Amino acid sequence: MSLLIDAIGFGIASGAVLALGAVGFTVQFGISSILNITYGSLMTLAAYFGLLLVGAGLSIWLALAVGALMVGLISVVFHRVLLGPMVKRGIRPFGLIVVTVACGIVLQYIVVAVVGPTAQSYGNVSGATLRFLGMTFTTAQLVIIAITASLMLALHLLLTRTKLGRAMRATSANRTLAQSCGIATDRISDVAWLISGSLCGAAGVALAITVATFDFTLGSVFLVPMIAAAVLGGVGQPYGAMLGGLVVGISTQVAGALWNPAYQDVIALVILIAMLLLRPRGFFGAAWSSRRLLA
Amino acid sequence: MVAIAGGALAVLTVGAASTAARTTLAQAQSGPISIGVVAPFTGPAAEFGTLISAPCYAATLLINKAGGVMGHTFNCVPVDDTGDAADAVPNVERAIATVPNFDMAIGLESNTAATTVPLVNRARIPLITTNGLVAYDKTKDKYFWRLTPADNANGAAFMAFAAERGLKRVAIIFENNITATGNLPGVLAAVPKLHQTIALNLTIPADAASYSSVVERVIAAKPQALIFSADPQSTATFLSEYSQLNSGKLPVMITATDSLTPDFFNAVTKAVGVGYITHKVFLVGSYFANNTPAFYSYSKAMYADPHTKKIASVITTVGPPASAFDGINIAALAMLESHSTLGPVYNSWITKVVAASPGAQVVHTFAAGKAALAAGRKIQFVGVVGAVTFNKYHNFAGEFAATVFRPNKSAVRVAIISGSEVSQLLG
Repeated sequence: MSLLIDAIGFGIASGAVLALGAVGFTVQFGISSILNITYGSLMTLAAYFGLLLVGAGLSIWLALAVGALMVGLISVVFHRVLLGPMVKRGIRPFGLIVVTVACGIVLQYIVVAVVGPTAQSYGNVSGATLRFLGMTFTTAQLVIIAITASLMLALHLLLTRTKLGRAMRATSANRTLAQSCGIATDRISDVAWLISGSLCGAAGVALAITVATFDFTLGSVFLVPMIAAAVLGGVGQPYGAMLGGLVVGISTQVAGALWNPAYQDVIALVILIAMLLLRPRGFFGAAWSSRRLLA
Repeated sequence: MVAIAGGALAVLTVGAASTAARTTLAQAQSGPISIGVVAPFTGPAAEFGTLISAPCYAATLLINKAGGVMGHTFNCVPVDDTGDAADAVPNVERAIATVPNFDMAIGLESNTAATTVPLVNRARIPLITTNGLVAYDKTKDKYFWRLTPADNANGAAFMAFAAERGLKRVAIIFENNITATGNLPGVLAAVPKLHQTIALNLTIPADAASYSSVVERVIAAKPQALIFSADPQSTATFLSEYSQLNSGKLPVMITATDSLTPDFFNAVTKAVGVGYITHKVFLVGSYFANNTPAFYSYSKAMYADPHTKKIASVITTVGPPASAFDGINIAALAMLESHSTLGPVYNSWITKVVAASPGAQVVHTFAAGKAALAAGRKIQFVGVVGAVTFNKYHNFAGEFAATVFRPNKSAVRVAIISGSEVSQLLG
């Protein structure tokens, strides 16, 4: 029993990182309808930005914030310069996916060319180990959980309580209609890519903190469970992605604790397939679709 | 039907043309002999390409210094197998078709051997592999040669070393890949014979974001030692979480010499500190003496070559590169003995170069072998890995040793495990 409770705790910790990434991914898709596979390599880039900043003397948490913002800005440029014009030229969704896959690989090769293939680390930043409700967390994990919760709350407030959030939702629901209502949809897209890119960056640095050492494959390895979390929640639905992150994180750790850990990643994918069969629109299904924040 | 027959004919014609082209190329034999280093040079396993190229550079340095073979010098040609069996195929096929005088291959590691070994074997290029796949214990591939132990023998050697250290209760943690899990049959065979106990036997996925649940299970099982095999990043994550969840206490780890790499050292050191890796991590693999004439020559060449001198201190303690170095020398001497650089001709002379026979002069270097052959004597090559006796499947295992890292990333041998003991444990 204690192993199960511990596994749930470990799942919450890894689910928090997954949720950060999955929410960013789903916001990006919700606002632009682009399945951006470059996302994984951008997470890797953020981890290396974090390394650079820690090396320059910043604290790990400040490095997370700055690294996240840097990747957010790169995401805006990436969308403005490459993906946005491609959408305007009528390139189909499948073509865009291939472009983002290619960009991800190119970015990965650039990273390895610059920093090399060897393992990197932020050093021992995990802090003390604490027991809480029968679960075990490191200080760093608790901070990451707190950051995730704060960012999710901030995103919720942005989307529901601000004019900008309403404009984002309108753009997501019907871009042409939003434009004809006077919403500067291009600028709204920029903001959405900045936010989602920043979440991607934060997830990259948080993941690098969690795994102790990392290399240029960091984000690409994490991409599949993160997409699984986003799809579980219903692509385009930030709340669903939050819940999806937790479900994937917890199910993976519980499978590792109670079953054969070799298949722990498979469990999340089996849940994903089952969910798509039973509730194709994600956790909140059709009832939520009329109320959902994006898409 | 006609179309199928036509297609088959076309395939046969292309195949025949390709073989003919290779034979013609080989018969023309002008210019250097190419040794294809079939290994990953890009992707996550790219470091392996660098490591396995080192013995090639060292061997060719010495062979070329001794005047080469029949007027030919030797070149090392990287053939990038990318570490992926499917991606390896076009690269290896292209190398076979285009690299001039491609008459020898080394590397052909475990992840890609399923596709690369058949291709090279079919092209009738003698190959000296460093893979430990059990599947090749009884291979019928004529051009296959292996001077390193199979993974299951390595697994048995892990347990023999654990027994020697008085470690009776072990947790087996292997990553879910063919190399790591290849050790398992040997471990399982050895445990009852050595009166040891398996506290836990788990397979873990590579590169997981967290292994905390698995670590918790291992801690609860209270092992004295971890019998472990995983990539550097996964190992670092696992150990970091073990340390966090067990108040900083980590058990002894016994792993394969495959991990005797700067990348593994860096990853583990960054995760749990240099004290652990230099005192509690033991790397078990094939053994060779480091005080023989062959070793001096090997080590000197490693330090002399600009390609290899940076990693010479580590690589000269590891079995697979030494076996590749010996394999190249053996193949080059077989070329001299057979008076041919063609694979189909010199391949059958490989066993003769290493066989002990009455009146044969024991030689430890290519230069000494070449001089003896020029003087009309028979030779027996005894290289870095010692006297070699290939079995009928072209396999040779030899002895085993346990090694530990030093703080400067070099390595030092701490125990020797006899090959006969390992064979008994497997039997």
